[in-house]
Amino acid sequence: MHIAEGYLPPVQAAAWFAVSAPFVVHGSRALVQQVRRDPETKLLLGAAGAFTFVLSALKIPSVTGSCSHPTGTGLGAVLFRPPVMSVLGGIVLLFQAVLLAHGGLSTLGANIFSMAIVGPWVAYAVYALIRRAGGGLDVAVFAAAALGDLATYCVTSVQLALAFPDPATGFLGALMKFGGIFALTQIPLAISEGLLSVLVVRLLTRVSGDDLRRLGVLRTPAVQA
Amino acid sequence: MFALDIAAHTGPWRSRHPAEKAMLSLGLLACAVALPPWPGALFSGAAAAVLLVGPARVSPAVVLRAARVPLLFVATSTVPLLVTMHAPARLTVNAEGVVPAAQTAGRSVAALICLLLFSATTPLSDVLPRLHRLGVPPAVTEVAALTYRMLFLLVDSVRAVREAQAARLGFRTWRTAYRSLAGQAGAIFVRAFSRARRLEEGLALRGYTGSLAVQVEARRVSAPFVAATVGLLVLIVAVSVVVGSQW
Repeated sequence: MHIAEGYLPPVQAAAWFAVSAPFVVHGSRALVQQVRRDPETKLLLGAAGAFTFVLSALKIPSVTGSCSHPTGTGLGAVLFRPPVMSVLGGIVLLFQAVLLAHGGLSTLGANIFSMAIVGPWVAYAVYALIRRAGGGLDVAVFAAAALGDLATYCVTSVQLALAFPDPATGFLGALMKFGGIFALTQIPLAISEGLLSVLVVRLLTRVSGDDLRRLGVLRTPAVQA
Repeated sequence: MFALDIAAHTGPWRSRHPAEKAMLSLGLLACAVALPPWPGALFSGAAAAVLLVGPARVSPAVVLRAARVPLLFVATSTVPLLVTMHAPARLTVNAEGVVPAAQTAGRSVAALICLLLFSATTPLSDVLPRLHRLGVPPAVTEVAALTYRMLFLLVDSVRAVREAQAARLGFRTWRTAYRSLAGQAGAIFVRAFSRARRLEEGLALRGYTGSLAVQVEARRVSAPFVAATVGLLVLIVAVSVVVGSQW
Protein backbone atom coordinates (compact mmCIF):
# COMPACT_ATOMS: atom_id res chain seq x y z
CA MET A 1 0.00 0.00 0.00
CA HIS A 2 1.94 2.98 -1.32
CA ILE A 3 1.32 6.53 -0.09
CA ALA A 4 0.77 8.53 -3.28
CA GLU A 5 3.07 11.28 -4.51
CA GLY A 6 2.64 14.57 -2.61
CA TYR A 7 0.08 13.17 -0.17
CA LEU A 8 2.14 13.82 2.96
CA PRO A 9 2.87 17.38 4.16
CA PRO A 10 6.47 18.39 3.25
CA VAL A 11 7.84 18.37 6.83
CA GLN A 12 6.48 14.89 7.50
CA ALA A 13 7.74 13.60 4.14
CA ALA A 14 11.23 14.91 5.01
CA ALA A 15 11.03 13.41 8.52
CA TRP A 16 10.28 9.93 7.10
CA PHE A 17 13.33 10.24 4.84
CA ALA A 18 15.41 11.00 7.96
CA VAL A 19 13.93 8.01 9.83
CA SER A 20 14.54 5.59 6.93
CA ALA A 21 18.03 6.85 6.06
CA PRO A 22 20.02 4.99 8.80
CA PHE A 23 18.46 1.65 7.82
CA VAL A 24 19.12 2.19 4.11
CA VAL A 25 22.69 3.38 4.77
CA HIS A 26 23.30 0.33 7.00
CA GLY A 27 21.88 -1.97 4.31
CA SER A 28 23.92 -0.25 1.59
CA ARG A 29 27.14 -0.67 3.63
CA ALA A 30 26.34 -4.36 4.16
CA LEU A 31 25.68 -4.73 0.43
CA VAL A 32 28.92 -2.93 -0.55
CA GLN A 33 30.98 -5.12 1.82
CA GLN A 34 29.28 -8.27 0.55
CA VAL A 35 29.96 -7.26 -3.07
CA ARG A 36 33.59 -6.41 -2.24
CA ARG A 37 34.12 -9.88 -0.70
CA ASP A 38 32.30 -11.71 -3.47
CA PRO A 39 31.74 -9.64 -6.67
CA GLU A 40 29.47 -12.34 -8.16
CA THR A 41 26.89 -11.58 -5.42
CA LYS A 42 26.01 -8.43 -7.36
CA LEU A 43 24.35 -10.51 -10.07
CA LEU A 44 22.32 -12.51 -7.54
CA LEU A 45 21.24 -9.32 -5.79
CA GLY A 46 20.14 -7.86 -9.12
CA ALA A 47 18.12 -11.02 -9.72
CA ALA A 48 16.65 -10.78 -6.20
CA GLY A 49 15.63 -7.15 -6.82
CA ALA A 50 13.96 -8.02 -10.13
CA PHE A 51 12.19 -11.00 -8.48
CA THR A 52 10.88 -8.75 -5.69
CA PHE A 53 9.61 -6.16 -8.19
CA VAL A 54 7.80 -8.73 -10.33
CA LEU A 55 6.45 -10.54 -7.23
CA SER A 56 4.85 -7.29 -6.06
CA ALA A 57 3.26 -6.88 -9.51
CA LEU A 58 1.43 -10.25 -9.43
CA LYS A 59 -2.33 -9.88 -9.25
CA ILE A 60 -3.97 -11.73 -6.34
CA PRO A 61 -7.75 -12.20 -6.60
CA SER A 62 -9.36 -10.28 -3.71
CA VAL A 63 -12.61 -10.82 -1.85
CA THR A 64 -14.23 -7.81 -3.50
CA GLY A 65 -13.87 -9.46 -6.91
CA SER A 66 -11.12 -7.09 -8.02
CA CYS A 67 -7.36 -7.78 -7.88
CA SER A 68 -4.72 -6.62 -5.40
CA HIS A 69 -0.94 -6.81 -5.38
CA PRO A 70 1.15 -8.50 -2.67
CA THR A 71 3.85 -6.42 -0.98
CA GLY A 72 6.38 -9.24 -1.42
CA THR A 73 8.19 -8.00 1.69
CA GLY A 74 7.52 -11.11 3.79
CA LEU A 75 8.77 -13.61 1.25
CA GLY A 76 11.63 -11.27 0.30
CA ALA A 77 12.75 -10.98 3.94
CA VAL A 78 12.65 -14.77 4.42
CA LEU A 79 14.67 -15.35 1.23
CA PHE A 80 17.13 -12.43 1.29
CA ARG A 81 17.14 -11.14 4.97
CA PRO A 82 15.92 -7.70 6.19
CA PRO A 83 19.14 -5.59 5.82
CA VAL A 84 19.41 -6.51 2.13
CA MET A 85 15.66 -5.97 1.73
CA SER A 86 16.00 -2.37 2.99
CA VAL A 87 18.20 -1.62 -0.05
CA LEU A 88 16.43 -3.89 -2.53
CA GLY A 89 13.04 -2.66 -1.26
CA GLY A 90 14.22 0.94 -1.69
CA ILE A 91 15.31 0.20 -5.26
CA VAL A 92 12.02 -1.57 -6.01
CA LEU A 93 9.98 1.31 -4.54
CA LEU A 94 11.98 3.82 -6.60
CA PHE A 95 11.29 1.76 -9.74
CA GLN A 96 7.60 1.44 -8.86
CA ALA A 97 7.40 5.23 -8.44
CA VAL A 98 9.19 6.03 -11.70
CA LEU A 99 7.97 3.19 -13.94
CA LEU A 100 4.40 2.78 -12.63
CA ALA A 101 3.68 6.01 -10.66
CA HIS A 102 2.84 3.80 -7.64
CA GLY A 103 4.04 5.69 -4.57
CA GLY A 104 6.19 8.73 -5.25
CA LEU A 105 9.52 10.47 -4.84
CA SER A 106 8.44 12.84 -2.05
CA THR A 107 6.81 9.93 -0.18
CA LEU A 108 9.66 7.49 -0.89
CA GLY A 109 11.04 7.82 2.66
CA ALA A 110 7.66 7.00 4.22
CA ASN A 111 7.05 4.09 1.82
CA ILE A 112 10.58 2.71 2.39
CA PHE A 113 9.99 2.80 6.15
CA SER A 114 6.71 0.86 5.96
CA MET A 115 7.47 -1.55 3.10
CA ALA A 116 11.23 -1.99 3.04
CA ILE A 117 12.07 -1.68 6.75
CA VAL A 118 9.20 -2.46 9.15
CA GLY A 119 7.47 -5.06 6.93
CA PRO A 120 10.63 -7.15 6.31
CA TRP A 121 11.88 -6.90 9.93
CA VAL A 122 8.49 -7.95 11.37
CA ALA A 123 8.21 -10.75 8.82
CA TYR A 124 11.72 -12.02 9.51
CA ALA A 125 11.32 -11.79 13.30
CA VAL A 126 8.09 -13.83 13.13
CA TYR A 127 9.71 -16.35 10.77
CA ALA A 128 12.81 -16.76 12.97
CA LEU A 129 10.75 -17.09 16.17
CA ILE A 130 8.49 -19.79 14.74
CA ARG A 131 11.42 -21.72 13.24
CA ARG A 132 13.40 -21.54 16.52
CA ALA A 133 10.32 -22.73 18.42
CA GLY A 134 10.28 -25.79 16.17
CA GLY A 135 7.47 -24.64 13.87
CA GLY A 136 7.24 -25.94 10.33
CA LEU A 137 8.40 -24.05 7.27
CA ASP A 138 4.83 -23.61 5.95
CA VAL A 139 3.54 -22.11 9.21
CA ALA A 140 6.57 -19.81 9.53
CA VAL A 141 6.31 -18.57 5.93
CA PHE A 142 2.54 -18.00 6.19
CA ALA A 143 2.85 -16.04 9.44
CA ALA A 144 5.85 -14.05 8.16
CA ALA A 145 4.16 -13.02 4.89
CA ALA A 146 0.75 -12.26 6.47
CA LEU A 147 2.10 -10.36 9.47
CA GLY A 148 4.71 -8.56 7.35
CA ASP A 149 1.89 -7.34 5.11
CA LEU A 150 -0.25 -6.34 8.10
CA ALA A 151 2.68 -4.50 9.72
CA THR A 152 3.18 -2.53 6.50
CA TYR A 153 -0.49 -1.56 6.46
CA CYS A 154 -0.45 -0.58 10.16
CA VAL A 155 2.63 1.62 9.69
CA THR A 156 1.04 3.32 6.65
CA SER A 157 -2.08 4.01 8.77
CA VAL A 158 0.13 5.46 11.54
CA GLN A 159 1.95 7.66 9.01
CA LEU A 160 -1.36 9.00 7.66
CA ALA A 161 -2.82 9.45 11.16
CA LEU A 162 0.25 11.45 12.23
CA ALA A 163 -0.13 13.65 9.15
CA PHE A 164 -3.89 14.13 9.45
CA PRO A 165 -5.04 13.85 13.11
CA ASP A 166 -8.79 13.78 13.77
CA PRO A 167 -10.19 17.21 14.83
CA ALA A 168 -12.01 15.65 17.83
CA THR A 169 -9.98 12.63 18.94
CA GLY A 170 -6.56 13.45 17.49
CA PHE A 171 -4.05 10.79 16.47
CA LEU A 172 -5.96 7.78 17.87
CA GLY A 173 -9.20 8.72 16.15
CA ALA A 174 -7.38 9.25 12.85
CA LEU A 175 -5.58 5.91 13.28
CA MET A 176 -8.93 4.13 13.71
CA LYS A 177 -10.36 5.91 10.65
CA PHE A 178 -7.43 5.14 8.33
CA GLY A 179 -6.95 1.66 9.80
CA GLY A 180 -10.65 0.89 9.41
CA ILE A 181 -10.90 2.00 5.78
CA PHE A 182 -7.76 0.11 4.68
CA ALA A 183 -8.62 -3.00 6.74
CA LEU A 184 -11.38 -3.86 4.24
CA THR A 185 -8.79 -4.72 1.61
CA GLN A 186 -5.59 -5.26 3.58
CA ILE A 187 -6.66 -8.02 6.01
CA PRO A 188 -7.93 -10.34 3.24
CA LEU A 189 -4.86 -9.38 1.19
CA ALA A 190 -2.51 -10.30 4.07
CA ILE A 191 -4.13 -13.74 4.35
CA SER A 192 -3.95 -14.16 0.56
CA GLU A 193 -0.28 -13.14 0.53
CA GLY A 194 0.44 -15.63 3.32
CA LEU A 195 -1.22 -18.47 1.40
CA LEU A 196 0.52 -17.51 -1.85
CA SER A 197 3.93 -17.35 -0.14
CA VAL A 198 3.44 -20.86 1.29
CA LEU A 199 2.59 -22.20 -2.18
CA VAL A 200 5.63 -20.42 -3.69
CA VAL A 201 8.03 -21.81 -1.06
CA ARG A 202 6.58 -25.33 -1.46
CA LEU A 203 7.07 -25.08 -5.22
CA LEU A 204 10.62 -23.72 -4.84
CA THR A 205 11.49 -26.50 -2.38
CA ARG A 206 10.64 -28.98 -5.14
CA VAL A 207 12.17 -27.25 -8.16
CA SER A 208 14.90 -24.99 -6.76
CA GLY A 209 15.98 -26.60 -3.47
CA ASP A 210 19.67 -25.80 -4.03
CA ASP A 211 18.95 -22.07 -4.33
CA LEU A 212 16.91 -22.18 -1.09
CA ARG A 213 19.80 -23.99 0.67
CA ARG A 214 22.25 -21.38 -0.64
CA LEU A 215 19.95 -18.66 0.79
CA GLY A 216 19.71 -20.51 4.13
CA VAL A 217 15.94 -21.14 3.94
CA LEU A 218 16.29 -24.95 3.77
CA ARG A 219 18.59 -26.62 6.27
CA THR A 220 18.44 -30.23 5.12
CA PRO A 221 21.20 -31.37 2.73
CA ALA A 222 20.22 -32.25 -0.84
CA VAL A 223 19.23 -35.91 -1.37
CA GLN A 224 21.80 -37.71 -3.50
CA ALA A 225 20.32 -39.67 -6.41
CA MET B 1 7.60 -2.85 -21.30
CA PHE B 2 5.91 -0.23 -19.16
CA ALA B 3 3.92 2.53 -20.88
CA LEU B 4 5.79 5.33 -19.07
CA ASP B 5 9.17 3.81 -19.95
CA ILE B 6 8.15 3.46 -23.61
CA ALA B 7 7.06 7.12 -23.62
CA ALA B 8 10.41 8.12 -22.08
CA HIS B 9 12.40 6.14 -24.67
CA THR B 10 10.43 7.34 -27.69
CA GLY B 11 9.55 10.93 -26.76
CA PRO B 12 11.08 14.10 -28.25
CA TRP B 13 12.99 14.81 -25.01
CA ARG B 14 14.80 11.45 -25.16
CA SER B 15 18.12 13.04 -26.15
CA ARG B 16 18.02 15.75 -23.47
CA HIS B 17 20.37 15.44 -20.49
CA PRO B 18 18.54 13.71 -17.57
CA ALA B 19 19.70 16.50 -15.22
CA GLU B 20 17.72 19.07 -17.26
CA LYS B 21 14.52 17.02 -17.06
CA ALA B 22 15.10 16.23 -13.38
CA MET B 23 15.59 19.92 -12.61
CA LEU B 24 12.35 20.84 -14.40
CA SER B 25 10.06 18.08 -13.15
CA LEU B 26 11.51 17.70 -9.64
CA GLY B 27 11.61 21.49 -9.28
CA LEU B 28 7.92 21.62 -10.14
CA LEU B 29 7.33 18.70 -7.76
CA ALA B 30 9.10 20.59 -4.95
CA CYS B 31 6.91 23.66 -5.69
CA ALA B 32 3.75 21.51 -5.68
CA VAL B 33 4.62 19.96 -2.31
CA ALA B 34 6.24 22.92 -0.53
CA LEU B 35 4.10 25.87 -1.67
CA PRO B 36 0.56 26.33 -0.26
CA PRO B 37 -1.83 24.04 -2.23
CA TRP B 38 -3.79 27.08 -3.38
CA PRO B 39 -2.40 28.52 -5.59
CA GLY B 40 1.12 26.92 -5.58
CA ALA B 41 0.15 23.30 -6.25
CA LEU B 42 -2.41 24.38 -8.85
CA PHE B 43 0.16 26.39 -10.84
CA SER B 44 2.85 23.69 -10.55
CA GLY B 45 0.46 20.92 -11.58
CA ALA B 46 -0.97 22.96 -14.45
CA ALA B 47 2.53 23.82 -15.73
CA ALA B 48 3.58 20.14 -15.54
CA ALA B 49 0.39 19.03 -17.34
CA VAL B 50 0.91 21.54 -20.17
CA LEU B 51 4.56 20.49 -20.58
CA LEU B 52 3.62 16.81 -20.44
CA VAL B 53 1.05 16.79 -23.25
CA GLY B 54 2.60 19.79 -25.09
CA PRO B 55 6.36 19.90 -25.70
CA ALA B 56 7.00 16.42 -24.25
CA ARG B 57 4.18 15.01 -26.44
CA VAL B 58 3.06 12.27 -24.04
CA SER B 59 -0.33 10.79 -24.92
CA PRO B 60 -3.07 11.80 -22.45
CA ALA B 61 -4.23 8.15 -22.51
CA VAL B 62 -0.83 7.05 -21.14
CA VAL B 63 -0.99 9.74 -18.45
CA LEU B 64 -4.52 8.80 -17.38
CA ARG B 65 -3.75 5.06 -17.33
CA ALA B 66 -0.65 5.62 -15.17
CA ALA B 67 -2.59 7.93 -12.81
CA ARG B 68 -5.43 5.48 -12.09
CA VAL B 69 -3.90 3.59 -9.14
CA PRO B 70 -2.44 6.63 -7.29
CA LEU B 71 -5.72 8.52 -7.80
CA LEU B 72 -7.58 5.58 -6.23
CA PHE B 73 -5.29 5.88 -3.19
CA VAL B 74 -5.89 9.65 -3.02
CA ALA B 75 -9.67 9.14 -3.22
CA THR B 76 -9.67 6.41 -0.54
CA SER B 77 -7.36 8.29 1.82
CA THR B 78 -9.32 11.52 1.50
CA VAL B 79 -12.55 9.96 2.84
CA PRO B 80 -11.27 9.83 6.49
CA LEU B 81 -10.50 13.57 6.27
CA LEU B 82 -14.18 14.29 5.61
CA VAL B 83 -15.43 12.59 8.77
CA THR B 84 -14.78 13.08 12.49
CA MET B 85 -14.64 10.29 15.06
CA HIS B 86 -16.09 11.54 18.37
CA ALA B 87 -16.01 8.07 19.93
CA PRO B 88 -15.12 4.59 18.63
CA ALA B 89 -17.48 3.67 15.75
CA ARG B 90 -19.26 7.04 16.00
CA LEU B 91 -18.53 8.97 12.85
CA THR B 92 -20.04 12.25 11.74
CA VAL B 93 -19.50 14.25 8.57
CA ASN B 94 -17.06 17.08 9.20
CA ALA B 95 -17.93 20.12 7.08
CA GLU B 96 -14.70 21.83 8.17
CA GLY B 97 -12.72 18.92 6.73
CA VAL B 98 -13.71 19.70 3.14
CA VAL B 99 -11.08 22.42 2.65
CA PRO B 100 -8.09 20.44 4.09
CA ALA B 101 -9.25 17.34 2.18
CA ALA B 102 -9.44 19.30 -1.10
CA GLN B 103 -6.02 20.88 -0.41
CA THR B 104 -4.41 17.50 0.33
CA ALA B 105 -5.98 15.82 -2.71
CA GLY B 106 -5.09 18.82 -4.92
CA ARG B 107 -1.46 18.84 -3.73
CA SER B 108 -1.19 15.10 -4.33
CA VAL B 109 -2.68 15.27 -7.86
CA ALA B 110 -0.38 18.19 -8.77
CA ALA B 111 2.67 16.33 -7.43
CA LEU B 112 1.59 13.18 -9.31
CA ILE B 113 1.52 15.11 -12.62
CA CYS B 114 5.05 16.43 -11.89
CA LEU B 115 6.22 12.87 -11.20
CA LEU B 116 4.64 11.71 -14.47
CA LEU B 117 6.50 14.51 -16.31
CA PHE B 118 9.77 13.02 -15.01
CA SER B 119 8.78 9.37 -15.57
CA ALA B 120 7.43 9.84 -19.09
CA THR B 121 10.45 11.84 -20.33
CA THR B 122 13.45 10.33 -18.51
CA PRO B 123 14.38 6.66 -19.00
CA LEU B 124 15.76 5.04 -15.85
CA SER B 125 18.59 3.61 -17.96
CA ASP B 126 19.84 7.22 -18.40
CA VAL B 127 19.52 8.04 -14.69
CA LEU B 128 21.02 4.97 -12.99
CA PRO B 129 24.61 5.18 -14.37
CA ARG B 130 24.75 8.86 -13.30
CA LEU B 131 23.52 8.33 -9.72
CA HIS B 132 27.04 7.70 -8.35
CA ARG B 133 27.73 11.42 -9.01
CA LEU B 134 25.17 12.13 -6.28
CA GLY B 135 27.10 9.97 -3.81
CA VAL B 136 25.22 6.68 -4.23
CA PRO B 137 27.78 3.81 -3.90
CA PRO B 138 28.60 2.27 -7.33
CA ALA B 139 27.74 -1.21 -6.00
CA VAL B 140 24.18 -0.03 -5.24
CA THR B 141 23.72 1.67 -8.63
CA GLU B 142 25.06 -1.43 -10.39
CA VAL B 143 22.63 -3.70 -8.49
CA ALA B 144 19.83 -1.26 -9.41
CA ALA B 145 20.92 -1.31 -13.08
CA LEU B 146 20.98 -5.14 -13.09
CA THR B 147 17.53 -5.19 -11.48
CA TYR B 148 16.27 -2.78 -14.16
CA ARG B 149 17.63 -4.92 -17.00
CA MET B 150 16.34 -8.20 -15.59
CA LEU B 151 12.86 -7.07 -14.66
CA PHE B 152 11.81 -6.59 -18.30
CA LEU B 153 12.78 -10.20 -19.06
CA LEU B 154 10.95 -11.42 -15.97
CA VAL B 155 7.82 -9.38 -16.72
CA ASP B 156 7.76 -10.93 -20.22
CA SER B 157 8.22 -14.40 -18.68
CA VAL B 158 5.35 -13.84 -16.24
CA ARG B 159 3.13 -12.66 -19.08
CA ALA B 160 3.92 -15.76 -21.14
CA VAL B 161 3.36 -18.08 -18.16
CA ARG B 162 0.06 -16.34 -17.31
CA GLU B 163 -1.22 -16.67 -20.89
CA ALA B 164 -0.29 -20.35 -20.94
CA GLN B 165 -2.04 -20.91 -17.58
CA ALA B 166 -5.15 -19.00 -18.72
CA ALA B 167 -5.30 -21.08 -21.91
CA ARG B 168 -5.32 -24.20 -19.68
CA LEU B 169 -8.16 -22.79 -17.48
CA GLY B 170 -5.67 -22.05 -14.71
CA PHE B 171 -7.81 -19.23 -13.29
CA ARG B 172 -11.15 -21.07 -13.32
CA THR B 173 -11.53 -21.33 -9.54
CA TRP B 174 -9.84 -19.69 -6.54
CA ARG B 175 -7.91 -22.88 -5.88
CA THR B 176 -6.50 -23.09 -9.42
CA ALA B 177 -5.86 -19.32 -9.46
CA TYR B 178 -3.66 -19.53 -6.35
CA ARG B 179 -1.83 -22.55 -7.75
CA SER B 180 -1.24 -20.66 -11.00
CA LEU B 181 0.03 -17.57 -9.15
CA ALA B 182 2.45 -19.70 -7.15
CA GLY B 183 3.60 -21.17 -10.47
CA GLN B 184 4.25 -17.67 -11.82
CA ALA B 185 6.25 -16.66 -8.74
CA GLY B 186 8.20 -19.95 -8.82
CA ALA B 187 8.95 -19.53 -12.53
CA ILE B 188 10.32 -16.00 -12.11
CA PHE B 189 12.45 -17.04 -9.12
CA VAL B 190 14.00 -19.92 -11.06
CA ARG B 191 14.50 -17.80 -14.21
CA ALA B 192 15.97 -14.84 -12.30
CA PHE B 193 18.56 -16.98 -10.52
CA SER B 194 19.32 -19.06 -13.62
CA ARG B 195 19.93 -15.85 -15.61
CA ALA B 196 22.12 -14.44 -12.82
CA ARG B 197 24.21 -17.62 -12.83
CA ARG B 198 24.59 -17.51 -16.63
CA LEU B 199 25.59 -13.85 -16.45
CA GLU B 200 28.09 -14.76 -13.73
CA GLU B 201 29.65 -17.46 -15.94
CA GLY B 202 29.70 -15.20 -18.99
CA LEU B 203 31.38 -12.37 -17.09
CA ALA B 204 33.90 -14.74 -15.46
CA LEU B 205 34.94 -15.94 -18.93
CA ARG B 206 35.52 -12.30 -19.93
CA GLY B 207 37.78 -11.60 -16.92
CA TYR B 208 35.19 -9.96 -14.62
CA THR B 209 36.94 -7.97 -11.90
CA GLY B 210 33.94 -6.65 -10.00
CA SER B 211 33.04 -3.52 -11.97
CA LEU B 212 29.97 -3.42 -14.21
CA ALA B 213 30.48 0.19 -15.30
CA VAL B 214 28.88 0.91 -18.68
CA GLN B 215 29.69 3.66 -21.15
CA VAL B 216 27.39 6.61 -20.63
CA GLU B 217 26.60 8.71 -23.68
CA ALA B 218 28.02 12.20 -23.19
CA ARG B 219 25.29 14.84 -23.38
CA ARG B 220 25.59 18.57 -22.86
CA VAL B 221 23.28 20.37 -20.50
CA SER B 222 21.34 22.95 -22.51
CA ALA B 223 21.80 26.43 -20.99
CA PRO B 224 18.56 27.83 -22.54
CA PHE B 225 16.54 24.87 -21.15
CA VAL B 226 18.03 25.39 -17.66
CA ALA B 227 17.41 29.16 -17.85
CA ALA B 228 13.79 28.59 -18.94
CA THR B 229 13.34 26.08 -16.09
CA VAL B 230 14.70 28.51 -13.50
CA GLY B 231 12.48 31.26 -14.95
CA LEU B 232 9.38 29.05 -14.77
CA LEU B 233 10.08 27.98 -11.17
CA VAL B 234 10.75 31.57 -10.04
CA LEU B 235 7.55 32.70 -11.79
CA ILE B 236 5.48 30.00 -10.07
CA VAL B 237 6.90 30.86 -6.64
CA ALA B 238 6.40 34.61 -7.20
CA VAL B 239 2.84 34.31 -8.54
CA SER B 240 1.93 31.87 -5.74
CA VAL B 241 3.19 34.30 -3.10
CA VAL B 242 1.41 37.30 -4.67
CA VAL B 243 -1.89 35.52 -5.36
CA GLY B 244 -1.73 33.64 -2.04
CA SER B 245 -1.29 36.89 -0.08
CA GLN B 246 -4.45 38.36 -1.67
CA TRP B 247 -6.66 35.42 -0.54
